[in-house]
Amino acid sequence: MLQKADTNFGFAVGASLLIFFIGGILTTVVPPLIDKTWAKPFSNSDPAKGITGELKPYTEQELKGRAIYIREGCTYCHTQQTRTILADTKRSGWRGVDSPVSTPDEFVYDYPHLFGTKRTGPDLSRVGGKYDMQWHRTHFRNPRDLVPGSVMPPFPWIAANEEEFQAMVAYLQTLGRAKNWRPDGDFEK
Amino acid sequence: MADANAQDRATEIQRVTGAEPVVHEDLTVKWFLLSSVAYFFIVGIIAIIIAAKFVWPELLSTVAMFTYGRMRPLHVNGMLFGWLLACDMGLIFYLVPRLCGVKIWSEKLGLATAALWNVIVLGAVVSLLMGWTSGLEYAELPLPLDVLVVVAWIMFGVNIFMTIATRRYQQMYVSIWYIMGTILWTAFVYLTGNFATLFATGVNQANLNWMYVHNAVGLIFTPAGLALAYYFIPRSSNLPLHSHKLSMIGFWSLAFVYVWTGAHHMLHGPISQWLQTIAIAFSVMLIIPVWAVVFNLFSTIKGHWHEMGENVPLKFLMSGVVFYLLTCFQGPMHSLRAVNAIVSKTDWIPGHAHMAVLGAFSFFAIAGTYYILPRIFRTPLHSQPLAQWSYWFFMSGGLGFFVTLWLGGFWQGWQWNNPAIPFIDTVIALGPVWLVRFFSGILMFAGIVCFAYNVLATALGEKKALEA
Repeated sequence: MLQKADTNFGFAVGASLLIFFIGGILTTVVPPLIDKTWAKPFSNSDPAKGITGELKPYTEQELKGRAIYIREGCTYCHTQQTRTILADTKRSGWRGVDSPVSTPDEFVYDYPHLFGTKRTGPDLSRVGGKYDMQWHRTHFRNPRDLVPGSVMPPFPWIAANEEEFQAMVAYLQTLGRAKNWRPDGDFEK
Repeated sequence: MADANAQDRATEIQRVTGAEPVVHEDLTVKWFLLSSVAYFFIVGIIAIIIAAKFVWPELLSTVAMFTYGRMRPLHVNGMLFGWLLACDMGLIFYLVPRLCGVKIWSEKLGLATAALWNVIVLGAVVSLLMGWTSGLEYAELPLPLDVLVVVAWIMFGVNIFMTIATRRYQQMYVSIWYIMGTILWTAFVYLTGNFATLFATGVNQANLNWMYVHNAVGLIFTPAGLALAYYFIPRSSNLPLHSHKLSMIGFWSLAFVYVWTGAHHMLHGPISQWLQTIAIAFSVMLIIPVWAVVFNLFSTIKGHWHEMGENVPLKFLMSGVVFYLLTCFQGPMHSLRAVNAIVSKTDWIPGHAHMAVLGAFSFFAIAGTYYILPRIFRTPLHSQPLAQWSYWFFMSGGLGFFVTLWLGGFWQGWQWNNPAIPFIDTVIALGPVWLVRFFSGILMFAGIVCFAYNVLATALGEKKALEA
């Protein structure tokens, strides 16, 4: 049948588009219609149903911080997803408590998404609340002062610009916080 | 007449029998080729700088523009769109008129496309260094540039489709299908990745983004690269293509299978499990189009492998086919959950990606460039030995790069899966791997220098030949 595409220009064009669109539509348009958790923000107040918490929209300051994160290309080295892999829940964990895995309903307000594909530095999906202001300031100024052996570039212009620095930290502290996963809420400010 | 040689012979016959000969001006080809090679060289320098930053993180770190986070997207976009796609477009402008037995539909439109493409690439350099980015991988260019890409692609598509529509030979050679596929699929893949993503957030947006990322390679660079391989392997070896039927199986299964696999970029991640499973199933099915193509091309050259020794384009082409086979075997294997849990997000992945884009598709583009240079500039290639050197530099640098990153990445993945090892120790452990990668990058860059100089000297040689 497809031999017609050898000689018939219109047929070749039509057939290659049709065949492409089957998979194209079934994998892009259809999934969000089937899986509603992609668009419904996380919210749970009943401890019996599991971890509690609520995903809140970003504040203006947090969005400013997020824009800096995008501008500096942080996403090329830091993923934001605790995968369904045991080691991921341990590494995203903190002070002996394992982190819950990331779920689609925690990312509904992310625009653009920052899941990332490469983990040159550690995953940041649960970094919110782990380090305080002073730690971040020192770390942005020169990561190797706090973490010898780190290959992260220094970002002195963020540490030195109070507005940018505050916004940046405000954003970082939101990461992974929709779920109240710490036992005593022992988050740093 | 199903093979490239036969169609060229037909042109010969027409010439002998006095039918009006087709003289190709190839101006658009020259512009695309020369600018793409220039970007190959410039972005090659950026590639070396970012490889060095893994070893010496303080390098150029006091200037915001030159930090890793800004130079990496420039490296990716510059190589994909400034070098490889532009070179592919130039080669397509060469082979479509020849396979159709007519002149290019509009040389003026072609030149305008080349000019616009240069505006886009230069715009990308400025915006990415300034940090004006959409933040979506492979789709970093800001919206105004995205619009220009669409305009340029329509200009390109119209020109090529009108040429095909007015062709003199009724039968369309396999390269023509792949080129038509490239143009059509790219349009929709690009719109999905750069425009549909504007209307989605979170996982939904990520799903569209990965559909684009995966198909930028699978439905833009793969069909464009295979169009070149299917044309230049028979042409440079003077052998007919092994099987027409097999090339059809390869093409139509590619058209069907590739687009389903986007979600394999988020295996184990926060995306529906059933969608991950679909992506895995189709990723494994990719073996069908790949092996159909590779078997066909290997069988074409069967018994003539020794000719690769003296024939530089053939050398690049067949090495490219081997890399294509390897990279497309890795891909389906990565998508298996058990393997993915080790290699995903590690340094293995850049090793894999570079084998696809450099080892396979750039090798095809380099081969095509070497093959057509003497024909479009009507003068012998400046230096055969230099061309051989460029091959060995690319080959040794490429292998050094791929193999060390695979080993290093696999090792890194094992370390990550043992939470008793602090993360920073897994970074420090990769130090030697990144150092070898840097030196491999230097070798690859030496290949670029030999290649670019040869292209430039041949192009300037034309002028000398005309003046003399």
